[in-house]
Amino acid sequence: MATVMKEGLGLPLEKTLAYKLSQRDTTYDETGCYWGTKELTLKDQDPIKYEQFFSRLQSAVFAAREKARYVAASPGGREMGESVWALATAEGDTLAMSLGFISHCAAFPVSIKHMIDNDFEDNPGINDGDVFGTDDPLTSGAPHPGDTYTLVPIAVEGEVIAWACSVNHIMEAGAPQAGSWPVFTVDTFMDGFVFPPMKTGENLRQAKWWETLWMRRTRAGAMNILDDKMRLAGCSMIHGSIHEIAEEYGVEYYKQACKEIIEESRRMILDNMRSTLIPGRYEGSCFRISMLKGQQTIWKHADKNEMLHVHTMFSQDEKGGIVFDTEGSSRWGYHGFNGYPGGSDVGLYLGITTTFAHSCKASAGVNMNVESIYHEGSIYNPDTEFAACANIWAQSMQMQCLSSSAIHRNFFMRGYLEEAFAPEDSWDGVQGSGVLEDGTPYGFTNFEWVGGGAMGAYPFKDGTPCTWAQHTQLCNVGNSEEFEYLIPPLHHLGRKLEPGYCGHGKYRGGVGQSSVHWMQETGQRLGITRGGSATSMTTFLSSGMNGGYPAPGVITVTALNTNIPDLIKADGDTPTTAGEVLAYAAKGKLTGDITSWKYDPPEQSMGDNDLWANAAGASGGWGDPLERENSSVVEDIRIGQLPEDFAKTMYGVVATKDEDGMVTMDEAATKQEQDALYASRKADSKPAVEWWKEQKAKVESHTIREELLEMYRSSTSFAGYDKHYRNFWQLDDDFEI
Amino acid sequence: MSVSKEQLQKDKKYILALDAGGTMTDTILVKDDGTFTVGKALTNKQDEAASYKESVEDAAQSIGITSREAHENASVSIYAGTGMLNTLLTGTGKKVGLLVTRGFEDMSIMEGGLTYLGQTQSEILHNQLHKHTRPMVDRQNVHGVSERISGGSYFMGKHIDPGTVMVPLCLKHIKEGVKKLIKADVEVIGILFINSYIEQSHEHKAKSVALDMLKDAGIDIPVVCSSDIAPVSKENNRLKSLLLQCFAAEHTRETIADVEKTAIEDGYSARLLTLLSYGGAVNVEYPRLYETVISGPIGGMMGAQVMSQKLGLKNVCTADMGGTSFDVGLIVNNMLSIRKDPDFAGHRLALPMVAIDSVGSGAGSAVWIDEYKRLHVGPESAGAEVGICYKYDKLTVTDVNVAMGYVDPDYFLGGKVKLDVEKAKAALKKVVADPLGLDIYQAGKGILSVVNAQMRDAAKAILVSKGYNTGDFTMMCYGGAGPVHMWGYTQDFDLADVITFPYAAAFSAFGGACAEYLHRYHMGVVISIPNGSDDAGKMAVADKIDGAWRSLEAKAIAEMASEGIDSEELEYRYGFYGRYMGQLESFETLLDEGSAKSPEDIDKIIAAFEEMYTNIYPDGARFPDAGYAITEVFVQAVAPKAMPEIIEHEIEGVTPPEAAYVETRQVSHEGEFHDFKVWQMSELKAGNIIHGPSIIRDPMTTVIIPPEKRIEIDNFMVLHYR
Repeated sequence: MATVMKEGLGLPLEKTLAYKLSQRDTTYDETGCYWGTKELTLKDQDPIKYEQFFSRLQSAVFAAREKARYVAASPGGREMGESVWALATAEGDTLAMSLGFISHCAAFPVSIKHMIDNDFEDNPGINDGDVFGTDDPLTSGAPHPGDTYTLVPIAVEGEVIAWACSVNHIMEAGAPQAGSWPVFTVDTFMDGFVFPPMKTGENLRQAKWWETLWMRRTRAGAMNILDDKMRLAGCSMIHGSIHEIAEEYGVEYYKQACKEIIEESRRMILDNMRSTLIPGRYEGSCFRISMLKGQQTIWKHADKNEMLHVHTMFSQDEKGGIVFDTEGSSRWGYHGFNGYPGGSDVGLYLGITTTFAHSCKASAGVNMNVESIYHEGSIYNPDTEFAACANIWAQSMQMQCLSSSAIHRNFFMRGYLEEAFAPEDSWDGVQGSGVLEDGTPYGFTNFEWVGGGAMGAYPFKDGTPCTWAQHTQLCNVGNSEEFEYLIPPLHHLGRKLEPGYCGHGKYRGGVGQSSVHWMQETGQRLGITRGGSATSMTTFLSSGMNGGYPAPGVITVTALNTNIPDLIKADGDTPTTAGEVLAYAAKGKLTGDITSWKYDPPEQSMGDNDLWANAAGASGGWGDPLERENSSVVEDIRIGQLPEDFAKTMYGVVATKDEDGMVTMDEAATKQEQDALYASRKADSKPAVEWWKEQKAKVESHTIREELLEMYRSSTSFAGYDKHYRNFWQLDDDFEI
Repeated sequence: MSVSKEQLQKDKKYILALDAGGTMTDTILVKDDGTFTVGKALTNKQDEAASYKESVEDAAQSIGITSREAHENASVSIYAGTGMLNTLLTGTGKKVGLLVTRGFEDMSIMEGGLTYLGQTQSEILHNQLHKHTRPMVDRQNVHGVSERISGGSYFMGKHIDPGTVMVPLCLKHIKEGVKKLIKADVEVIGILFINSYIEQSHEHKAKSVALDMLKDAGIDIPVVCSSDIAPVSKENNRLKSLLLQCFAAEHTRETIADVEKTAIEDGYSARLLTLLSYGGAVNVEYPRLYETVISGPIGGMMGAQVMSQKLGLKNVCTADMGGTSFDVGLIVNNMLSIRKDPDFAGHRLALPMVAIDSVGSGAGSAVWIDEYKRLHVGPESAGAEVGICYKYDKLTVTDVNVAMGYVDPDYFLGGKVKLDVEKAKAALKKVVADPLGLDIYQAGKGILSVVNAQMRDAAKAILVSKGYNTGDFTMMCYGGAGPVHMWGYTQDFDLADVITFPYAAAFSAFGGACAEYLHRYHMGVVISIPNGSDDAGKMAVADKIDGAWRSLEAKAIAEMASEGIDSEELEYRYGFYGRYMGQLESFETLLDEGSAKSPEDIDKIIAAFEEMYTNIYPDGARFPDAGYAITEVFVQAVAPKAMPEIIEHEIEGVTPPEAAYVETRQVSHEGEFHDFKVWQMSELKAGNIIHGPSIIRDPMTTVIIPPEKRIEIDNFMVLHYR
């Protein structure tokens, strides 16, 4: 049979990307196996050669990360795990990945599909060693423009057989509001330097104009260029390694083995899901406040406050794979808390990839066992191409937290106690821009409380502080000395744990951490905002862990025009945590304009001796706090992780700490306090049906806040959730919500 | 080898070097006639002085002398131990008190969040396995002191200058803290203030106040400043170095002093030396003793450096295969490759350490098949139990080597240990062959193929990840199992040469004997060189760099004088850590000269940086437009010390003497049985060529030479595998 050639490319049709993509999808739909790979022929014929082959691929991406990350300008990219390198198939499916931002592998096929669907093979051409870049949430699967991707095709005799891929979170994204996660953004035109997949270089070198774009369109151009060079350096290494491997094993072996690796991993991950989950429906809800009203007068449509609903239903399909439906989540709006499906998947897979793939080959096989449903028109799938996505992480982290919570409840029910914990991961970034006294402009993001947080409680032990980060396995909060080097006016007066800041329980969550940034030599101007996954208005919850409290939300406190110089002059007794800022202010020791923000604050103009304090990374508890051993409460007081008044109100433990750090518990007073807490609970409790009737009356009479009503109206505009809502409250079909 | 007579003390004819591992303490005793002997004793972790003496005795007895005679005639004794690791793992260090910048009191608990250090990839992906290491200080004994010094910024010259006092040092806080620490009976006090690597005055003042208070209280305990221990950026790493010094090093100092005392009581008349983690040897007075935290593998690297100089090899990749791991290191341009912030026992340190990468592939590594029929090798290891063929309960790589015929079951450790070949074969069949549907020899071939590939990939990764061409490197193979697997892990590996040694199994102890007497001095600096700097700008930079080098030299002279070394005897090496402006990582750059007196000298420094950088990264990763930053400068000071000398032998014929032939035996190699000739190592001569299929046996190791391959023995008795 004559070979069918693709016109213009000089390639047989079956070697084109468009053909491969279509065949991959068709064969999967027909067989349920990746590329129709029902038999793992190469593995069965010579398992050792096959494992060696995979080991070579894995080594290539590991080596790339180990080498390239040192080119970085951002602590996040270099060592805080805010980066990843991967090898993908010609269609964009991940085969092997380095440590780091691994859930971003869900974005590669979106970018590559976009390029294929838009005939990039023809124009501008996809050739060996070309360099493509993107950060566009709509077309590339990037969650937000702060996450920037580099993609390098690897071709043998004109046929693309693989892609070397990389992503890292850059320091500054070039939006009107500076930083990585601009909060005040109305549509994509305010998200910053957004670029769909485009060719930016050839022969493993970037074009000069590309560097100019970074310099002109972002406030940290030199740093962003170095991060770009970092991504490309790693991709270049992978490119070289894969050419060697393909030559050694042969291209046909390479292509077939890659299909088998993904299919094998799909099966193994499915096995893991089957053996650890219990079929059922796990419902969850989270909320977020968007407070844009009054921040501007130009765009009336964006001048509003909203409460956003994140609603999820976690279940399993008949094969044992995960079905994750977000119906009931709010409709998209004119704020930065939207995202498109590719980026939403990146969020969802944070908790799924590590949980189910750590024991096997971590590849795109994981994605094939998960059906994520993002309803058109919702915050996770806007029915417009212009929605702002700058801070999608705010509620995609909440969404995945609900998914993880469901998974960990499954672990508990199956008896895997050592695997089950309260899996929250609230984080907070301090971001902004300024102009030094001499006119030098700059932009920045401080990633310290993005890099890691406390681990939640287990069913049998406490969580620990500063232990993990769900978005990367490489928990690392960096060093104060390095952040101060990069962001000159911000100096830490404190960088430590916030006592009592955790979800309490029989086993408490790990204590979260706090910083107090002290402004010095702010120059001509300095503006700061925050980007983060939670605010103190809403908990960042892993609900239902047998009565344990969820993690408290993130805290932001600003103190302007303070008397810090006087405190320094007196005895240096300055506040060292956000909690202390509030406590010092309450005592009158710290003076100035003190604000505790319950939501994302609008940009704050900061001057010398102003303070920006934040706390994040707390985690949830497990079990009833009143069942906690008194001796554990006393030890928490001794090591400074629990204030005495917290011990009394939360645990009923009456104890005092002396000057030498010795803690003494008053047993009689403790017994009395705990009895009183039980009695108080009993007095406050009521039968569930009674509570339900009271709440139903409010729903029916619309005697709830307008923002809440609006939120439920938005959620019930999706038919499935409308039915669910009416069913729960037993509302008539014609009742107007 | 022989002892360099000009460097020996009068009438001293031996060098003693000991490598005290977790299981065995090995001694290598180098004599002036070029011969050497090896001694062994079980490591006594409770009394290292006892196992030291026992091991020396063992070596001495083998040449018919007593340990006293060995000690009396030793010009130097070098002892590399594992005491600091044991102290960390068992938590038996000093009770530490800590003063830190107010607001940073929880650093030791938070550990920067680095809860995954030392884990494998699958463990790192498994979040539930992340955990903090055992703290080296009780949080209750950490007290804050109000103070603040600026560290400077990326916008050099446009913002607060580095070293500026922003918050004055609060004496009241120091006094309150020290008072509490005295009451808490701490045994050592550490001080860490933010940015002290730039300006030490606050830490030093706090130390002075603390010492006064301790004196008044009649207490004699050390007070240690972070800026004296590790004057480099990143407070979390600096804290770990400080804590290691406080918690473990002072304890280890006592152990080494005990060993030294035992040696002296046994007739030794010099100072006992121990090995630094970045190469070099120091005595027990060395102030930053935590820098000796790993020393065993370092010995091998130093031996490799000496051998590479002797053989005229510029670039060497070392491959050390022991029972539990395969360690790879690099020597580039005759210099050891150094890692700046290495991970050790779950801690990330601010300590230059010879860069060694490890994979869990050793001769004792367990071999198993999982439920998905995937073959796994390691990291679990049999250690001294060898394998099923001896005392272990799982199949190991050595079992496979025995089953295939590579390792003679009747000549393990020279026949001291008998191995059960039938048990090895049965286990290979049950554990791997049957589940995969293979016969045992196919299974064995596959296992060795995986093990060898893991090691080959590790070696390639360290070379390629630094941008080197593998063909420019000679691989130096040692460790007990190195010569057994050398054929496998060098297969299809483009290398300049592959070499091993008759004493490969004791190479790390040999390397310890080769250590230079060396100290390394670092200074954190904040220096920028904008792109297109004029001569005046460059001259200002030159003054700063030159001043830093001279100041480090002065520190070296003072410190080494306290160890009894004349400044006239010192030699210096120079370098710096540099980066493009905006980068966060600084790269070690070595220089031929340690003087910066002119703008041209700065051009040379920039050129050296660019050359180093482009050796590592593709051209597209360069960014000279950004300008340059220098963040640290350093000086190495080297004092003379007795060194082993490699003896040159007369070249004899290519044919090995008849006396060297032992037997011919069948070996299953790469899927086929071959007749391998067996030769005795001790009978072979310089110039001999041994053609494969052959095996060279020695009581401590076995060299495998496959068909079509050969070993050529050169005039230094180095074995070249070709």
